[in-house]
Amino acid sequence: MNFFKTKTSSPKVEGRVEGVFKVTGTGKYSAEYHLDGMTYAVIVGSTVPAGRIESIQLDQAKQVEGVLDILTHQNRPQIPAFATKEKLDKSGYSLPVLHTDQIYFKGQPIALVVATTLEDAMYAASLVTATYRKTTANVDFDGSHKGVDAEPFGKERGTMAAWASAPHVAEAEYTIRHEVHNPMEMHATIATWHAPGKLKLYDKTQGVNSVQQTVSRLWEMPKENVEVISEFMGGGFGSGLKVWPNVPLAIMASSQLKRPVKLVLTRPQMFTLVGYRPQSWQKVRIGADKSGKFTGIWHQAKHATAIYDNFNEGIVRISRMLYDVKNIKTEFATVPLNLSAPTWMRGPGDCTGAFALESAVDELSYVLKMDPVQLRLQNLALRIDPDTGKPWSTNYMGECVTKGAEMIGWGDRKALPGTVKDGDWQIGYGMAVGMWFAGRQKASAAIRLDKDGVITVETAMTDIGTGTGTAMQNIAHEYLGIPKEKIKVKLGQSTLPPAPSQGGSTGLSSLSGAVTAACEAFKSKMDAYASTAGEQSSPANYSLIMQKNKLTEVLAEASSGPGEEQKKYAFCSGAAHFCKVKVHSKTGKVKVEKMASVVDAGHIVNQQAAANQVSGAAVGGIGMALSEEQLTDNRYGCLVGNDLAGYHFAVNADAPIIDVDFIHKTDVNINPTGSKGVGEVGIIGTAAAIANAIYNATGKRLRDLPITPDKVLLS
Amino acid sequence: MEQPKISRRFFVSISAMAGAFAFIPASVKSAYISAKNLFIPQKRALPLSVSINKKLYKLQQDTRTTLLDLLREELQLTGSKKGCDHGQCGACTVHVDGERVLSCLTLAAMVQGKEVTTIEGLANGDELHPMQKAFVECDGFQCGYCTPGQIMSAVACVKEGHTGSVEEIKEFMSGNLCRCGAYNGIVKSIQQVAQ
Repeated sequence: MNFFKTKTSSPKVEGRVEGVFKVTGTGKYSAEYHLDGMTYAVIVGSTVPAGRIESIQLDQAKQVEGVLDILTHQNRPQIPAFATKEKLDKSGYSLPVLHTDQIYFKGQPIALVVATTLEDAMYAASLVTATYRKTTANVDFDGSHKGVDAEPFGKERGTMAAWASAPHVAEAEYTIRHEVHNPMEMHATIATWHAPGKLKLYDKTQGVNSVQQTVSRLWEMPKENVEVISEFMGGGFGSGLKVWPNVPLAIMASSQLKRPVKLVLTRPQMFTLVGYRPQSWQKVRIGADKSGKFTGIWHQAKHATAIYDNFNEGIVRISRMLYDVKNIKTEFATVPLNLSAPTWMRGPGDCTGAFALESAVDELSYVLKMDPVQLRLQNLALRIDPDTGKPWSTNYMGECVTKGAEMIGWGDRKALPGTVKDGDWQIGYGMAVGMWFAGRQKASAAIRLDKDGVITVETAMTDIGTGTGTAMQNIAHEYLGIPKEKIKVKLGQSTLPPAPSQGGSTGLSSLSGAVTAACEAFKSKMDAYASTAGEQSSPANYSLIMQKNKLTEVLAEASSGPGEEQKKYAFCSGAAHFCKVKVHSKTGKVKVEKMASVVDAGHIVNQQAAANQVSGAAVGGIGMALSEEQLTDNRYGCLVGNDLAGYHFAVNADAPIIDVDFIHKTDVNINPTGSKGVGEVGIIGTAAAIANAIYNATGKRLRDLPITPDKVLLS
Repeated sequence: MEQPKISRRFFVSISAMAGAFAFIPASVKSAYISAKNLFIPQKRALPLSVSINKKLYKLQQDTRTTLLDLLREELQLTGSKKGCDHGQCGACTVHVDGERVLSCLTLAAMVQGKEVTTIEGLANGDELHPMQKAFVECDGFQCGYCTPGQIMSAVACVKEGHTGSVEEIKEFMSGNLCRCGAYNGIVKSIQQVAQ
């Protein structure tokens, strides 16, 4: 086929502001910058999960042509904040990379090989060996959590006794395996000390300012001397919110060699060096009176963490805010293991918690013989946030539920499980809701007008694929009335106006205030210039104003953040997820046939990008529900497998076309655009919706994720 | 690479002997070097002539280099992405003589005399390829990292005639992983071009 049969003159393409860069491969991701004198670094990981390094053998590796240096804990340059135990404890950085002989997990960096080419570095890294004084390692979550008691998480409301004799109760345990973010781009850092005491980093991160702060703290240098660039970011899902070992390693190597160093993790290293969603155990007891009104919830949870880190994602939080229930008790604990540190992964805590809570509510609906949609509508806390007692600024989850039910064709659902068949396939419907606090942080942005009349909107925030840049363009267009093709965006550089990391669904909510404030500042600046020059054309003629004032550029910067409204209101985004599944009665295969997600996220600035994010989150939920699991080998203290052939997240054929819709009601209190985040709520509850549909199809209640065919057949 | 078994002690003693007998004749020294080469294979570069995006490259290339690393690290054609380096994700998909190929599983030496097309060579000058245009219009991506591979596969998917239904497109595009889950837009883009 000849795609260029009909030659047309470059038609204008509508889409994201960075779209053309992404489809032509010209956008630069962190590992794609080329610097003069570039060197390549490869990490060597420990082969044991616990103990001390006795010696590291480098002789063979050093023979490899092209090897420039090999860093170990014995010869690396000192990171100032790791100099003493006291300093290390204060640094807030949990893994003293190459500053200890102690091994905490298998794959912990013990050496860094730097060579003139990637091939040389990889080969030499394969020749590094070490001897260890091994100690006992424990990576067995299932076997360990029973020995750890859950402790109160938040204040208990009401009493357990008040609903001890509730007429209807559902109680069960739920477990979820270790999941790995696995963004498509591997984490990478290019470090270069480009001038004395001046460091530049091209780093894959969700927040350039956060990397800048951490690095300046570790190296005890002014943060102005650390420049961080992350213009294009190949997916994060939370893995890009922390500064992982690749960053200090690349910086150490660059100071040792006085040359730029490029360090790209391998896919197997992505399983051990940049976090994961920890394995978890939960128990939920939920009671209702005869009418179906919830009388009490008791939610206990534990998840794994690393022995050297104290990560805690508060799994039970969601039970405290979702439903209007008088008596609630939530308890939580972490279980330290010889694994690398876990971290926030899409919908951290709540995504895990919602699987248990929303499965339990579904179980209760069958006990009550009530429609799960009706049960939600009757119990959702739509007016007041039960946890803080403050009124929700806006909460349209009820509308999400009603609309989602329509979209999926909920009327076709049979209340009795296992009754609809199509040959060997059993068919069922399920639903669940999700909620996420709608956060906002202080952010800054600038508007720059050049003499050609082109506006650039600038901020340090990265766009990890959510459409932040496009939203900035849209907002500036709306506020300044300038055509979109005349509005550029510049982001992902620490030299630009500071902004928080893009995470926790707070990106647009934080930045929209900053962009609108910058637009206002810009307009008043232009007004002032206009009156100075006596220029009164209507509409205002910017180039004339600039000419008359002899200006080549106009720059307006502004910051904006949360204020008094936070004291008056509680804020949340909400979602309802519905699905129709087919379960094969002979093979146990589950196929998601249809999926619909309806989200209440206030004003939607860019419908296409927001819907894309929500459908993508639903795809993530399908993986979580049906296939994602990273197993551990308890004998050898390590992960079983560490690549994409073994770790199955949803491929194109695993997901149906996802139907997405929004409630489109502005939250006037949260920020000037009235937008709430969408990134997390898209996944929170999806796994429960699928598990609930499997129950409706088969009558089998599966409480251990992922629901692989063997579990379906054996239950 | 196969690594012959060798004890550290043996290695150290060989090195020490060579040091101590620095004055011994060149023939012995060369015998030592060839003995050492047995254990640490030396890097070898071979001539490579390949056409990439219709431009002919004559290179002296490390025999271990993959096509993907050649593109990304040597030629700064970073549009082809490394997502796994194991042939499991499709982000590195390029066309070799018109067929879709995983460049991370292809040694550079294997494309001698062939015509390679990468994402950078897909557009016709400033005019985007219809598939590129469709991906922008249908929002067939989020972070954009898998996108070049998706587009190279999508072009092949249309060419191979696997666009009969949503299911068929999904099946034939399942070798290209997208962690953002932008599959709605990817399918829509392909449908748009296939029409």
